[in-house]
Amino acid sequence: MKNKIKFGIFLFALTTFFSAPLRAEENDGALETYNRAMFNFNSTVDYYIVKPLAKGYRAITNEFVRERVHNFFNNLKEPASTINHSLQGEFAESAKSLGRFTVNTTLGLLGTFDVASGWGINKNRTGFDETLAAWCVPDGPFVMLPFFGPSTPRATVGMAGDAAANPLYWGDYYTNFNHDWEEYSFYYGISALGFVSLREENIEFLDKLTANSVDPYTTIKSAYIQNRMKMKICGKPAEEESASYDFDFDDEEFVE
Amino acid sequence: MYKFITLLLTFVMSISFEANAAIDGKKAENFIKNVTNTGIEELINSNASEQEKQEKFTKLFNEDLDLDFIGKFVLGRYWRTANSKQRKEFIDVYRKLNIQTWSERFNEFKGKHFEFTGTEKSKSADQIFVNTQVPMQEGAPASVKWRVKETNGKLRIVDIIIENVSLAQTARSEYTSYIQKSPNGIDGLIKDLKAKLK
Repeated sequence: MKNKIKFGIFLFALTTFFSAPLRAEENDGALETYNRAMFNFNSTVDYYIVKPLAKGYRAITNEFVRERVHNFFNNLKEPASTINHSLQGEFAESAKSLGRFTVNTTLGLLGTFDVASGWGINKNRTGFDETLAAWCVPDGPFVMLPFFGPSTPRATVGMAGDAAANPLYWGDYYTNFNHDWEEYSFYYGISALGFVSLREENIEFLDKLTANSVDPYTTIKSAYIQNRMKMKICGKPAEEESASYDFDFDDEEFVE
Repeated sequence: MYKFITLLLTFVMSISFEANAAIDGKKAENFIKNVTNTGIEELINSNASEQEKQEKFTKLFNEDLDLDFIGKFVLGRYWRTANSKQRKEFIDVYRKLNIQTWSERFNEFKGKHFEFTGTEKSKSADQIFVNTQVPMQEGAPASVKWRVKETNGKLRIVDIIIENVSLAQTARSEYTSYIQKSPNGIDGLIKDLKAKLK
């Protein structure tokens, strides 16, 4: 109960303090110094640890193995989709996610094979972040998180919510009666593999995205924010997406 | 008085929109179909040598993308303060850098095909969006939107919006933020962009 109240206060705080709209072009004001420092920290960690691990992972596995790992981690996200589709009032989608989870966990050998897609029950993922958006919780400013990278306060809460819906987490939670931090090692270990697997999938993409950029921080920030704008807020598109660019493309700006 | 001006403005604007009769959706869609066919089927999926591919790509890029217009847009408010030498140099390096980036990134579309899902009006009468989708291996298809502009009867691409991320907008954020921070302003940007060229 206490936790619920805390959570309520937290949500309220989010809506009040972070009601400033996200804008791809503006600089992040006071947060910018922190964000850039964190971006440099993440880049260093990535360069020396995460990317080498991802490359090593690629070297010791073949495509077949990597696809099994990829599917396994994706399947673990289905319960979060099931719950959140329901919270958004999309019960048919919720049933689909639940169906996918059931079929793929059993017939798909712990999710390593996506049998459901073969049956035409396609992946339609959602998460707590989308639920909060549907509930009209504003996004807040752009924040660079340590290790996890680009985020916003709402996206961070969403990520934590989704992590709590991960079956591995429940598994560890119910077998670890003392809720000892160190006892969650299985959960953290396997999550680390998921992290490396995700990084491996994005090696080329991130290399290309930043290769020709003179300011990779701004490139990533801008792309992240624009991509988020496609999320529905209160059930409506965040803004008339194309219209916003029209304004910027106005010819009057180019008067010579 | 205020009302009158607003009215007058609305009137003038409606006339200018009429005069600039909206760009033909079918024509724009065919134009993009042609570009994606040439770009993907004839270039990426072909057995031509790397050099031949590069040459064809450069030609396609120069003909079908309005890089002068995009260059102006990405410099944002700094375009106005730039002198003609800076403008020329910037457009030149931006063009080369884009050809370099895109000849690499176009490979991502290898083996993929575009499905055309109609067009969308733009606020500017001489522009239109052509909507396409690229089916992905899993999950929902990726949305790729092409902003097409008509200048003197010729259609050209002025932006590509992939999954809601506009290339022009992203470059604009990057360059304006860079200029803002750089002590050498636009010249510093041009120099650093040149260094990125292979």
